[in-house]
Amino acid sequence: MTDSKTPSNRRKFLRNITQVMGGVGGIFALIPFLSTMSPSEKAKSAGAPVEIDISSMTPGTYKVVEWRGKPVWVVRRTQDMIDNTLEDNEILSDPKSLEDHQPAYTQNKFRSIDPEFLVLVGVCTHLGCSPLYKPSSNSTELGIDWQGGFFCPCHGSKFDLSGRVHAAMPAPYNLEVPPHHFASNTKIIIGDDGDNI
Amino acid sequence: MNKFMNWIDRRLPVSNFVKNHLSQYYAPKNFNFFYYFGALAIFIFILQIVTGIFLTINYKPDAAQAFASVEYIMRDVEWGWLIRYLHSTGASFFFIVIYLHMFRAMLYGSYKNPRELLWLFGMLIFVLLMAEAFMGYLLPWGQMSYWGAQVIISLFGAIPYFGESLALWIRGDYVISDATLNRFFAFHVIALPLLLFALIYLHLAALHTTGSNNPDGIEIKQNKNEDGIPKDGIPFHPYYTVKDIFGLSVFLLVFTFIVFFMPELGGFFLEKDNFVPADPLKTPEHIVPVWYFTPFYAILRAIPDKLGGVLAMGLAIFVLFLLPWIDRCSTKSIRYRSKTYKVLLSLFVISFISLGYIGMSAATPIMTWIGRFFTLIYFGFFVALYFTSVNEKTKEVPDRVTMHD
Amino acid sequence: MIRLLTFVSILVTFNFAQAASNNIQLKPVLIDLNNKASLQRGAKIYVNNCLGCHTLKYQRYVKFIDHLSLTKEEIEKNLIFTTNKDGEQTKIGSLILNSVNTDTAIEAFGVVPPDLTLIARSRGSEWLYTFLTSFYEDDSRPLGVNNTLYPNVGMPHVLSWMEGLKKAQLSDKGQIIYAYKGSMTAEEYDSTIVDLVNFLVYVSEPAQLDRYRIGFWVIIFLSLFSFVAYLLKNEYWKDVK
Repeated sequence: MTDSKTPSNRRKFLRNITQVMGGVGGIFALIPFLSTMSPSEKAKSAGAPVEIDISSMTPGTYKVVEWRGKPVWVVRRTQDMIDNTLEDNEILSDPKSLEDHQPAYTQNKFRSIDPEFLVLVGVCTHLGCSPLYKPSSNSTELGIDWQGGFFCPCHGSKFDLSGRVHAAMPAPYNLEVPPHHFASNTKIIIGDDGDNI
Repeated sequence: MNKFMNWIDRRLPVSNFVKNHLSQYYAPKNFNFFYYFGALAIFIFILQIVTGIFLTINYKPDAAQAFASVEYIMRDVEWGWLIRYLHSTGASFFFIVIYLHMFRAMLYGSYKNPRELLWLFGMLIFVLLMAEAFMGYLLPWGQMSYWGAQVIISLFGAIPYFGESLALWIRGDYVISDATLNRFFAFHVIALPLLLFALIYLHLAALHTTGSNNPDGIEIKQNKNEDGIPKDGIPFHPYYTVKDIFGLSVFLLVFTFIVFFMPELGGFFLEKDNFVPADPLKTPEHIVPVWYFTPFYAILRAIPDKLGGVLAMGLAIFVLFLLPWIDRCSTKSIRYRSKTYKVLLSLFVISFISLGYIGMSAATPIMTWIGRFFTLIYFGFFVALYFTSVNEKTKEVPDRVTMHD
Repeated sequence: MIRLLTFVSILVTFNFAQAASNNIQLKPVLIDLNNKASLQRGAKIYVNNCLGCHTLKYQRYVKFIDHLSLTKEEIEKNLIFTTNKDGEQTKIGSLILNSVNTDTAIEAFGVVPPDLTLIARSRGSEWLYTFLTSFYEDDSRPLGVNNTLYPNVGMPHVLSWMEGLKKAQLSDKGQIIYAYKGSMTAEEYDSTIVDLVNFLVYVSEPAQLDRYRIGFWVIIFLSLFSFVAYLLKNEYWKDVK
């Protein structure tokens, strides 16, 4: 028997090529197994984009639809709300929406495509409760400086009417804006960017 | 690296384990083709466990949803079809490999002193594997799943006095139902695999205590060099690891060909009727067990009496447990045994394969009579072996193993 | 090469399938899942003529985008004719269902029409092809038709508007006589049925489209790997004398 501590070059070469091929084959074999855990066709079709008809919404009202099992809010702002939307203020944690929690086409102070229609995922960015819509200002419950917005009853996080989180709140960042687009003047599709980039 | 291994070894004897069971575990150097199947059986066991886990993620053990959830895996789950076919093809290949593994033991007398316990553990694994396969076959909840389970569980009803209550207890209902499916699922995915795992461990522990037999049936430990290493032994690693890697790759070539190109194998691996959801009111015209059960099923049908059939089938399996004591010849390998043994073993193999074929065919009178004939040969093998093996005329066994290439 | 392997495996499957059938000789049919046009025609025939009674409840419309090379719009326009209870068109991600009332169905046909997603796997393509071309006039049956392959079948000859209705007896010259003519010639009807059966074979196991293709590469890889493993084994075993 030759000493296996000093293998020949041929042996080393064959051993390496077997190891590499075995490794590559093993990695390819992993793909099917791991893929079975990604959303199935059933989950995907249940999570398909949803339509919402906004023709009946009057200014100041809001609607909830379910998209991928989560509540999505559509708010039609009044002219007052639009006018009072803050550009930049120290009470807001991320007023310019610099953190990436909205599609690029809604990175403005209204966090919406059309200032009149706000679309938000209604899930608090803290621990996943659904905040309440509190549109009126000067609420006794929320203090005199409340300008209207969303309030999370679980841990008290406050958001303005653009879903921007107030500073020093449990919630770490602004409410998420889902991908959406206007299919027509009366119809919003949630879950699909459409032609927006 | 060395320091790290020292740290580990002081706390867990990893290096020792590798030495004792791989790099300084000496296996006979004359293993032939039949010695691939032990390693392959372990590979399939692991494959079945892993594919099984991924199937369980999407399968629903509920009579109302089971069939649809299998189709869901086949269509809606990404790559689900591949995992399912690997599992279903794996089940059949498990038996192909195990049957060849057992045949190897009969060829070279691997069940004989000192390896009787090794054989008994192996036989227990075989019986549990049949239970595992049987219960797994109910899960897709197709017509064959349902009626196959109905027939097999009814066999327990043949036992006098408490048979009917036993069958009722196994089903948990008056017919095969959701309750049966649910308990079979529990047994199939956790109880039996755990037992199988423990038995495979014991099987391997017993193997490494006695060392492997070989095609010459020579105990290599009786012929050691001055370092105490068997003269006919070679370290398992690297010699048998590289050999088994080659064996595994050829096996996978055949296995994946079936998985990708003929997963039903013309109805042998996946039966046509199992693509119809279970219907308790409509029996398929032709109920056939999956191929690996058919030899024993043919023995069951050969006996014209319900209890007798069940007993004969049970005996056909049980008699294999006794093989180490039925075969009284001390020469192990068929290479040095008498012509009588060669003829007997050939007849046994022919009868086993023929019974397998008969078990698949419709039970016509002529087929039943052929089945009886081969049942007789099957049992006759053990009787004849018991009497001919006492004073068998054997050839002289050499001291050292021989290499054939 | 992929086609060759596909062909061989289909051939083997068919031989087993044929061995299993009895009595009536099944007619061979050439299945080609690479023929997307045929699959598209088959899908259209199915939704227009069969879906009214027979669901494909394990299959989703959306799969036709990849498998039949159709766009979402084409599927919504040409293949989805069902609606939900609010009258909205069925979503493309839905399973292929219908709105058959089981009680009415039992009254009309004696049974609930079976789901056909897996019919090609349980019966085989040849059985389907033979069945769909074996209807004939039989006044003794409640629906006035019978089937040579499946005597006293509960199903009416839905496609008789295409095929016409054959009489049981052939003419003196051995030609088919029709009780009434349909919209198609015998050849046109035959190719329509081939498309339909082709579609049913696809829908019984959509994975067929992937597994032949992937299997080809797996076999190539494992052949190479076996070769290398063989050389490696021989290299080490040179030591063993």
